[in-house]
Amino acid sequence: MTARNRTTLASRIGLPVAVAALLVFTLFPVYWMISTALDPKALTRGSDVLPSGLSLEHFTFVFEKGNFGTYLLNSALVGLATIVAAGVLSLFAAIAVARFKFRFRTSVLIMILIVQMVPLEALVIPLFIQMRDYDMLNSLLGLSIVYIALSLPFAIWTLRGFVATVPKEVEEAAYIDGASWPRMFWSVLLPLVAPGLVATSIFAFITAWNEFVFAYTFMKGSDKYTAAVGIYQFFGENSTSWGPVMASSTLVTVPVMIFFVIVHRKLGSGLAAGAVKG
Amino acid sequence: MKDASVVKDTLVDGGPKAPARRGPPRPDGGAEAARRRKRLTTLTRPWLLLAPSLVVLAGLLLWPLIQVGKLSLQDYEVKFGGGVGTFTGFDHYSDLLTGELLWKTVLPNTVFFAVACVGLTVALGTLVALLLNRLGPTWRLICSIAILAAWAMPAVTGTYVWIWLFQPQDGMASQLAGSLGLIDPETTNWFTERGPFYAIATLNVIHHGFPFVAITVLAGLMTIPKELYEAGELDGANAWQRFWNITVPTIKPVFLVVTILSTIWDFKVFTQIYLMPGGDGSNPDVYNLGVYSYIEAFAKNDYGAGAAAAVLLTVLLLIITVVYIRTLFRQGEEEL
Repeated sequence: MTARNRTTLASRIGLPVAVAALLVFTLFPVYWMISTALDPKALTRGSDVLPSGLSLEHFTFVFEKGNFGTYLLNSALVGLATIVAAGVLSLFAAIAVARFKFRFRTSVLIMILIVQMVPLEALVIPLFIQMRDYDMLNSLLGLSIVYIALSLPFAIWTLRGFVATVPKEVEEAAYIDGASWPRMFWSVLLPLVAPGLVATSIFAFITAWNEFVFAYTFMKGSDKYTAAVGIYQFFGENSTSWGPVMASSTLVTVPVMIFFVIVHRKLGSGLAAGAVKG
Repeated sequence: MKDASVVKDTLVDGGPKAPARRGPPRPDGGAEAARRRKRLTTLTRPWLLLAPSLVVLAGLLLWPLIQVGKLSLQDYEVKFGGGVGTFTGFDHYSDLLTGELLWKTVLPNTVFFAVACVGLTVALGTLVALLLNRLGPTWRLICSIAILAAWAMPAVTGTYVWIWLFQPQDGMASQLAGSLGLIDPETTNWFTERGPFYAIATLNVIHHGFPFVAITVLAGLMTIPKELYEAGELDGANAWQRFWNITVPTIKPVFLVVTILSTIWDFKVFTQIYLMPGGDGSNPDVYNLGVYSYIEAFAKNDYGAGAAAAVLLTVLLLIITVVYIRTLFRQGEEEL
């Protein structure tokens, strides 16, 4: 009885303290970013928890002087191209590995697992030379092609789980009704996998939106910067204008956070599927 | 790429030439031929579906890997109208492996940083998962959203926030430590020495990396049936014994997987180091393997030496990946 009392007392104090610590650690950097972006005297803020005032002047600055609208548009274009191509390709591949038994199926899956570990630093050197030879540096298309390849392994791996959850009987019912395979795909499989496809596509978009190394190496003309690279220009040689840096960081971060919260329920199961028996 | 779109078109437009029809076989004499065609399509369809992805992966991931291996054996020079490679054998590797920089700076930075990040990320993630598992639905949702916010923070912007927090003179942490009398904010620069530099980078990587561990371990914890704990309690096991004999064995496989995945990710951290003050090559003390390779190739235009370092990093990661895949198979968790 005394042991039990001690644990409840410890948990009554310990749990709220732990929750508070967790919330501070996870959210404080986000809060500091947004509040600095809104603070008109960002540089002299010091360690004041509250900003000295609220204004949108840093946001106006990054759009009017920093050309950040163009960078956000570039990022969105590259992200959309990545979504469309990676979505279609990974859906086909996921159906193949989830629905068909064929020789080398296991080898294909292991290869998909292995290519995920390849460091970007090893790819950026040869791809830079390759893209230069094809005159694709400084081109949003060239960058999109690289991002499609980068997001494919994860997309195939995740979608495989979603395809596998569609019962085979549903497909067989379509065949009995006389549907051909393409017909079954359009009318039965695709609608059922659609939620998974949306979640996977959003993740592909985030991959493209966040990527730095390739965008930084390939895009040398400042009108072709993506948003992640565009922030770099607010860094000076000796002093950095932290207001605009945090304002542009906020513009890059907030869409990702919204997307993440939308897909986390759907994707959570897919992410954990590789590690936990579902 | 061209091949990929051709295959894709046939799939979207007309489908494979002979669509397999199930249902009653046709009574006429073509039954044998139809059956043979059906067997052929079931054999080729998975490959047709896979082909576009495999072409993209082969062209943009595998082919460059072969190229980087080839480059590491060459002196590659950029000339007008293209690059010229001269075969030099294993010179870049012997330069790399006999140089002091690799053994005194680059490898220790890479390995110690990765070990610290993995250990702390997995420990914090597991503690948070255990905490979430004990919370009621409302607080669990609030904490989950906070964790997702940390996870969603892009590496680039996250790094900028941590730099700003620890910025000499004006940064929040510098001011705070100054007002507590711990440091003199006018003269202290945390980014110039590799100890504090990597401590800040570690904090950044943990903040970005522990949510994956927490959510995956939580998913593992939730698969443990409550009856198991009740049975343990009936048998007289105390809380500590229940944790060691029920919780730990059940989440051990999950634990292994998140540890290996974190190791793979933390060995190849690039953006979080490169963007920090001095991380872009101006301070060689803070090189890690990825940054070193990038600087050699793109700042010093020594593509061969950069490629050799990149190959070394890839081989290290390949070894860890093989361990990872063997673990997956041995557990039999993954039905490939």
